[in-house]
Amino acid sequence: MSSCLEISLKPYLADAHGAGVAKKAKSYFGITLESVRSVNILTLDANLSTDQMERLRTEIFTNPVIQVSGYTPLDLDFDWVIWVGYRPGVRDNPGATAVEAIEDLLGLKFTKDQAVYTSIRYCCKGAGLTRQDMEKIAKEILANDIIQQWKVFSREEWDPKTGVGIIIPKVELNHEPSVSKVSIASDEELMRISDERNLALNPNDIPTIRSYFLREDVLEARKTVGLSEPTDLELEYISQARSDHCNHNTFCGKFHYTDLSTGDAMVMDNLFSSCIKEPTLAIADKKPWVISVLWDNAGVGKFDEDHYYTITGETHNSPSNMEAYGGAITGIVGVYRDPMGTGKGSKLIAGTYGFCVGPRDYDGELKPRLSPRRLLDGVIEGVKDGGNKSGIPTAFGQVCFDAGYIGKSLVFVTALGLMPAIVDGGPSEEKTTSPGELVVMCGGRVGKDGIHGVTASSEVFSERTPAGHVQIGDPYTQKKMHDFLLEARDQGLIAYITDNGGGGLSSSVGESARFSNGCKVDLAKVPLKYDGLDQWEIWISESQERMTVSIKPEHEKQFLDLADKHAVECTVIGTYTNSGKLHITYKNDTCAYVDMDLLTARFPQWEFEAEWTPPRLRGLREPVLSVPADHNRLLLDMLARPNICSKEWITRQYDHEVQGASAIKPLVGLERDLPSDGAVVRPVLSSEGGIAISQAVLPTYSAIDAYHMTTCVMDEAVRRVIAVGADPEQIGGVDNFCWPTIIYDDKQNPDGKHKAAQLVRSCLALRDLCNAYEMPLLSGKDSMYVDGHLPGRYGERHKVSALETLQFTTTGLVHDVAHCKTMDVKMPGDLVYVAGFTKNELGASEYYEHLGHLGLNVPHVDAEANVALYKALHKAMTADLAASVRGIYRGGLGVHLAMCSMAGCLGMDVDLGKVPTQGAYRDDVLLYSESAGRFILTVAPSDKDRFEKIFANLPVACIGQVVQEPVLTVQGLNGSAIVRAEVRDMKDAWKRRFGGLT
Amino acid sequence: MKKVRVLVLTGYGLNCDHETAHAFSLAGAEPKRVHINSLIAGEERLKDFQILAFGGGFSWGDDHGAGVIQATRMKNNLGGQLLEFVRDGGLVIAICNGFQAVVNLGLLPGLDNDYTARTVALTYNDSGNFRDDWVYMATNPQSPCVFTKNLGVFDLPVRHGEGKLCADDAVIKRLQQNNQIALRYALADGSPALGKFPENPNGSVDDIAGICDPTGRIFGLMPHPEATVHYSNHPQWTRIKEEKKRQGIDPQFATAPGLLMIKNGVDYARENQ
Repeated sequence: MSSCLEISLKPYLADAHGAGVAKKAKSYFGITLESVRSVNILTLDANLSTDQMERLRTEIFTNPVIQVSGYTPLDLDFDWVIWVGYRPGVRDNPGATAVEAIEDLLGLKFTKDQAVYTSIRYCCKGAGLTRQDMEKIAKEILANDIIQQWKVFSREEWDPKTGVGIIIPKVELNHEPSVSKVSIASDEELMRISDERNLALNPNDIPTIRSYFLREDVLEARKTVGLSEPTDLELEYISQARSDHCNHNTFCGKFHYTDLSTGDAMVMDNLFSSCIKEPTLAIADKKPWVISVLWDNAGVGKFDEDHYYTITGETHNSPSNMEAYGGAITGIVGVYRDPMGTGKGSKLIAGTYGFCVGPRDYDGELKPRLSPRRLLDGVIEGVKDGGNKSGIPTAFGQVCFDAGYIGKSLVFVTALGLMPAIVDGGPSEEKTTSPGELVVMCGGRVGKDGIHGVTASSEVFSERTPAGHVQIGDPYTQKKMHDFLLEARDQGLIAYITDNGGGGLSSSVGESARFSNGCKVDLAKVPLKYDGLDQWEIWISESQERMTVSIKPEHEKQFLDLADKHAVECTVIGTYTNSGKLHITYKNDTCAYVDMDLLTARFPQWEFEAEWTPPRLRGLREPVLSVPADHNRLLLDMLARPNICSKEWITRQYDHEVQGASAIKPLVGLERDLPSDGAVVRPVLSSEGGIAISQAVLPTYSAIDAYHMTTCVMDEAVRRVIAVGADPEQIGGVDNFCWPTIIYDDKQNPDGKHKAAQLVRSCLALRDLCNAYEMPLLSGKDSMYVDGHLPGRYGERHKVSALETLQFTTTGLVHDVAHCKTMDVKMPGDLVYVAGFTKNELGASEYYEHLGHLGLNVPHVDAEANVALYKALHKAMTADLAASVRGIYRGGLGVHLAMCSMAGCLGMDVDLGKVPTQGAYRDDVLLYSESAGRFILTVAPSDKDRFEKIFANLPVACIGQVVQEPVLTVQGLNGSAIVRAEVRDMKDAWKRRFGGLT
Repeated sequence: MKKVRVLVLTGYGLNCDHETAHAFSLAGAEPKRVHINSLIAGEERLKDFQILAFGGGFSWGDDHGAGVIQATRMKNNLGGQLLEFVRDGGLVIAICNGFQAVVNLGLLPGLDNDYTARTVALTYNDSGNFRDDWVYMATNPQSPCVFTKNLGVFDLPVRHGEGKLCADDAVIKRLQQNNQIALRYALADGSPALGKFPENPNGSVDDIAGICDPTGRIFGLMPHPEATVHYSNHPQWTRIKEEKKRQGIDPQFATAPGLLMIKNGVDYARENQ
């Protein structure tokens, strides 16, 4: 028997959740809701006695101080009711914890057929509200039809006895699992089946697949296990592993690059190898602090003799564009499994985020599935719950608005972990599987979630993209697993560990079995959320919160007992072997039997045509522009721009201090409201050492040249960690590429060759700057296909490609956090210095964008000059000779002087004539050029000589001083004050845009 | 010196256990991180400890009201042991999610010597959202609370979505009369925040940031003392360091207020063993 428990706040208490809905309805659609009261509903689909139901109502689900509840609909006043619940099969986290609580209270165990489902009904009041208003609020604020269902009731339609009724979103497949054989009679036939089954096999791979399964020795071997033609499971396995997402076919491809201005042609064979792997290995050779790179789930760097840090970055774009909250929470919780699965396992110590989205107030003709505002709200919330509920500080983040992201928004998530250098007497970064060890699946259960997620993210987004790959991450289940695995690691129980992400067991077991050279897994042992999954679905399901672990057979009991203590489900599903075969069974029937090396060598390389037309030949020019007369207003307007203005409302939702290790916070300054250059955590609480982390993204530069986009992004990310105190000699990078499709197609992608050339140039820049800065790439990922096809006004569809985007994350070692610096100017009378040359480099700058221009002179990085400057700066910081340090980034010197002044709530008097420059001889160029390699520093007058000595022969000059009166005064080249801006006014301008959001 | 043993709860989504244990070590105690299930299984016994720390986190995801399921699980499986621990003079500090769990357990406010009644709730912030910020708070010098003795006015981080303390007027009145309101959100000068956002970050009645039981030995608070034990935890430390440098003062930092609060508890436990 099923029943509904309704719970609501007592009527006289404010309903903050309901008020939030009313606020959104007003700001999104101008619909006025006088009041919104929310009622939480638990639908109990279990056989419980009246007595038991009363106990769980009073003892768990009703707080007598603030709530009322009942098993009949609560009598709340309303004009309309909107009910929102999940669709079948969608992860219902509160439903799952409700089951746990009920089981514990009543001492019973729910069967697989029993469950608790949560939903909410909103009681809305307001004058003149229509059904249309309610439908709009339901569809565009409260629910996403991919994962949720809803119902609207008018007063008249509402039956006070039955309420919303009992709605049970239970998955019932009524399907007998079966393995099917796939015909490989011809290439065409296999391609047709691939299309039918959504396998996304590359046509070029098909002959290779066929020839393997037609080989005589293969046929012979397969006969021994009862197989002939490939099974669906085997082809799914190949499809997953060969997807661009898993195999990085693009980066490993062959690029035929031609510079159309000179006719010079070259072949770049494997960008990953030549631009990422080779430089990183060469640098790692010279840098003993680089412990492990390029093979594991995350890169490993040395923190101190006893500890290593682990770092990686990911994107979760496609799912976030379908369901922003679910996509983002799954993304951040997912990336947290990477350090957990690196070496023998890391503790998570920090996360960061990067959101590249369409303008928040976009009101144009194109209709993305989710409006940019809703999408941004959703991803913010997803990262909030994913990070906060994991107990991992979200230490840093950034948001970039650009119209190009309306087609597909980007959600970057980065994870930083820490592990002991030695685990169980051996190096923590090493792991392997050996024959005879057990394959253990830990964490969540397997459902239809995320099936074909990997192949979907390797495709261009459209309205027809299957929605089944959208999931909702469960940080609670994962946190339990995290704590368990660390304890298991410390007890020496983990031989090998990796996460189940894209491709599920197919990837994790497939890859881990390469070490032992084989495995035998029984899929019937895999715990399922519900019956009826086909074998291939169990094999490739991307159900979240799972890790695959290899343990020695003698450790089985200890491992499983420990899992029990932590309330983590773990199941032995097979053994590692050295048979050379991936052998998958379901009970006694074999569903896959292929050679372990099938995937490694025999597939053809992807090939791309890349044609580069330099920007000048593409018609780009500097705009004809005179110097502005009203610099004061210009500065305030620049501060108010979306990509410059305060986004404090996001940062404050994220716990950035949990674990007690925060040394430099994401918000700094006297009023704790300015975004820091980077964050520093002190992950070993008994140590004074720290890790600085920061990141940068500058997509607009790609509109001119992705080479310079790349060097500028990398330089900015490097400067950001140096600015807070990282040692320039110990900085590592993480590259996250998000690129529009580079496969040329006359009709579908006519500029594909240009985009491919941009990718080649970006990779060359990556290589060049890594070499110049001697910076290894500790980790990296690529996500191609950042395009969308959006409906327009007349039913036509427009392809919208994002700008070529690289997010670059840096981590840097801080020897002693005592020498970390913040950007806020500290004392009146301090001297203000600018380090690094300001050049005439306004191309693709915030200033040009503000005035409606693109320009040509994109900033170029002078790496050699920068290295000398950064080393000197680090020396000065270590000697505590700089009172504040700020890099000059997007928006240029003017914007960042304002930020330093706002942070310290003090004024500054500066003279543009004194700024070190090469070829910048106008006030607007000096103020807004975005030349790389620069900092703003303030110095106590008593430290002047020592400070200047360190920077002898470097482009560093004193341009003025900090003053008590909170006014930023800038003297222009003609000697008169061109800016006189009060700190208050600057803060008002800078905070106004998003100031009302909490 | 007598040992002070501290049991720091872990498991089920709790997440401040490492830094809470670390803070107790700095304060001179011997902390042990213990999984809730180890306590239930009897592998550890409360009576072997002098202080019990309910730390921050998201127990059971906080899905059905923050701290609610943790309280249910502990009440059903450890209820007697907890009451015994309290009766025998044990100290309890309950921070953030721990505070939420403890009010649901009824260990606070402990009116009329009843340590099981739920009379106080911590519910959603008025802002409707989670918030991480630093806030000032003032201690109540008349309070019997052993943790807040001689602390005056100081700032600590708050990091929660459900920190608004609610109770019937009669209950609030008694808390006031008994000086059980040990800690209130305040302005920098120590004057009351009077509900003003963001100084009072959640809309808590009477600016309540923390309350104790009538004996002063059980203390629950929303702010995080364990996250304020190293100079670099403070958001203004770079500025403070620079100011001291200019005044020619050795840039040694005073002991952080969070550590002093925890030390108060440890010292009390040591003296009253």
